[in-house]
Amino acid sequence: MAEGTTPTSSLAENKVRLPLIALIGPPNSGKTTLFNHLTGLRQKVANYPGVTVEKYVGQVQCDRERTVELIDLPGVHGFSARTLDERVTRDVLEGHVEDLPAPDAVVLIVDCTRLESQLMLVEPVLKLEIPTLLVLNMWDELEERGGNLNEMELADLLGVEVVKTNARVGLGVERVKEFLSGVEVSERGLPPPVRVLSNVPRGVPLPMIDAFTARRRRLDKVVDRASFVSPGPARPTDALDAVFLHRIWGPLVFLTVVVVVFQSIFTWAVPLMDGVELLITSSGEWLASRLADGWFRSLLIDGVWAGVGSVVVFLPQILILFLFLGILEDSGYMARAAVIADRVMYRVGLQGRAFLPLLSGYACAIPAILAARTVEDERDRLATIFITPFMTCSARLPVYALLIAAFIPEGRLLGPFLGYRAAVLLGLYGLGIVAAVVTAFLLKRTLLRAQPGSFVMDLPSYRLPSARSIGLRLLDRSKIFLRRAGSIIFAVAIALWVLTQFPRTDAGPPLIEDSALGRMGQVIEPAIEPLGFDWRIGVGLVTSLAAREVIVGTLGTIYGVEDSTDDSITLQETLRRDLTLPAAIGLLVFFAFALQCMSTVAVMRRETGGWKWPILQFSYMLFLAYSGAFIAVRLF
Amino acid sequence: MGLTAPKSISSLPKDEAGSELRLGDIPLSQTVELVRIDLPAERAEPLLERGMLPGCRICPVRSSPAGDPIVSVDGSLLALRRETANCLCVRLLSDVS
Repeated sequence: MAEGTTPTSSLAENKVRLPLIALIGPPNSGKTTLFNHLTGLRQKVANYPGVTVEKYVGQVQCDRERTVELIDLPGVHGFSARTLDERVTRDVLEGHVEDLPAPDAVVLIVDCTRLESQLMLVEPVLKLEIPTLLVLNMWDELEERGGNLNEMELADLLGVEVVKTNARVGLGVERVKEFLSGVEVSERGLPPPVRVLSNVPRGVPLPMIDAFTARRRRLDKVVDRASFVSPGPARPTDALDAVFLHRIWGPLVFLTVVVVVFQSIFTWAVPLMDGVELLITSSGEWLASRLADGWFRSLLIDGVWAGVGSVVVFLPQILILFLFLGILEDSGYMARAAVIADRVMYRVGLQGRAFLPLLSGYACAIPAILAARTVEDERDRLATIFITPFMTCSARLPVYALLIAAFIPEGRLLGPFLGYRAAVLLGLYGLGIVAAVVTAFLLKRTLLRAQPGSFVMDLPSYRLPSARSIGLRLLDRSKIFLRRAGSIIFAVAIALWVLTQFPRTDAGPPLIEDSALGRMGQVIEPAIEPLGFDWRIGVGLVTSLAAREVIVGTLGTIYGVEDSTDDSITLQETLRRDLTLPAAIGLLVFFAFALQCMSTVAVMRRETGGWKWPILQFSYMLFLAYSGAFIAVRLF
Repeated sequence: MGLTAPKSISSLPKDEAGSELRLGDIPLSQTVELVRIDLPAERAEPLLERGMLPGCRICPVRSSPAGDPIVSVDGSLLALRRETANCLCVRLLSDVS
């Protein structure tokens, strides 16, 4: 590709593309709010190879004729590439991302109530030498708190266009659109040959701290000449912090928030999940009644409908979790929660920022691992990613629910509050936490050994979250989740069904133990015999590598096919007949530890940039799962 | 302010040299100037990017429940760890005059 482009690629280069504008800014400057205002629903979540972090690209209709593309980059404080977010932002701005042209213009948004420190991004951005718009967001708050600024003077001094906005209510957004409509596709071709966005000026081997100080001095002069009056203290934020960061109330509020989030996932989500399940089963039955009995109906209903349906059921739970996380983040409370959690995390060897990914891990490890990108220290981020799959994700719940209902008797352990079943469930959650804590402790003393990092957390002003912004994010989450269910789970469901249907016998499909799937189970049976599992569980363990909850559907299929003569026996009863109580507990322990989720492994590989960590993690968790189950079987 | 400051100096703990104050030693609401960051470059960088540069003014505004400092710099609120705050050398503003 170095010399002489192929005809196809030159064609692609000549193809008319829309002007691409990068939207950047520090965290909490209102970047995504502005993005949502500009793009509305015309946005898509994109993954780019290599860096592969979720990036948001949307189209902006400036006027009847002009449409431009806007890319929402992660919030950054600088371009040192110390964090993954900074690296992504830098690579996109410098045009180092495959399949993405270098942007034709930049919109830099800052929170003008903290103008001096936020403007530190201006100088490096200007080095890109492309049209730049500086958006002074939260102008209303600046004025309310008695601050002021001559924005025309600032524009002159910096040599960029400046717009005042209040993105939350959409004030000034039209002016931003005007700027966007003037951007043309640049013909610069190749990106600059060297890194332009470094924090240290090129050719000058200044110590970093001096480079920063020099830049800051120049900025201070600019801000002074633009007659910036810094705003007074943010009174509501002060008053709220007096409670949320109070020595006694602070931790109490924190615990209440955690309890409410959990309660909502496990209690309030249930009716919604029942609703979705009813929808899936009734639509499946309706469909079955319309189709002639045969292999196609079997594939569609027993394979696809049941397989995909068993995963889609979790959508309400995941959405409720993300609704809460969205509110907590947008209101500014999440930063306070991270501060409160920091001391506990610090003792384990992590930091407060790990709190958000770990909490998300209770819904699903995949978004949680992506959320770990905000952890600034690379070792801390790796450790956080490594322990996230120990958090009991919602995919383990159906497995736990089935086995507990089948083997643990109802009965009260502690008066009316805690029954045996609830206690076992709590114990499994506890098991995950203990494993996570011990693992983090070990990691930070071996592979990821480091001096404790300098934890700095920005505490943004409290703001009322916008329903529109959270709604758009939930929509995104649903799309991503359903896409996953529609691809991986769909494929597994079909593969499973096919494996139960072959080799064919004269009478049609084979007995399950003679089928390809059954034989696969028998091959691994010797390995799992010490745990008290037979080949049926073995098949379930293999198929649940696609997603943990698949084991429920698989066992359903296996026993369903096996007992097709007797419909009245439920899966629970069949399991009780086939599995001893110690083996059932062993299976529960196995699922508490094992990394039975290929999607997580794939995300791990992307986020850690190689196979080393995912392989290590998978083997480690499998080892824990096997030995844990081995011990459990002998203990009970 | 100018009159009350000397009184608070004597009540503040100092290190062995008797001349250097650390941000971690500063009581709430006492604005100080940052003199030096005693941290290796890569660990100082997050501080620098957020405006904590030598010469800037820092004011501890409250403590976290665990006793870590929360400070105001350039109109931003930042939460630090005690360990980090103890690596930041500061001086009282009255020392300058």
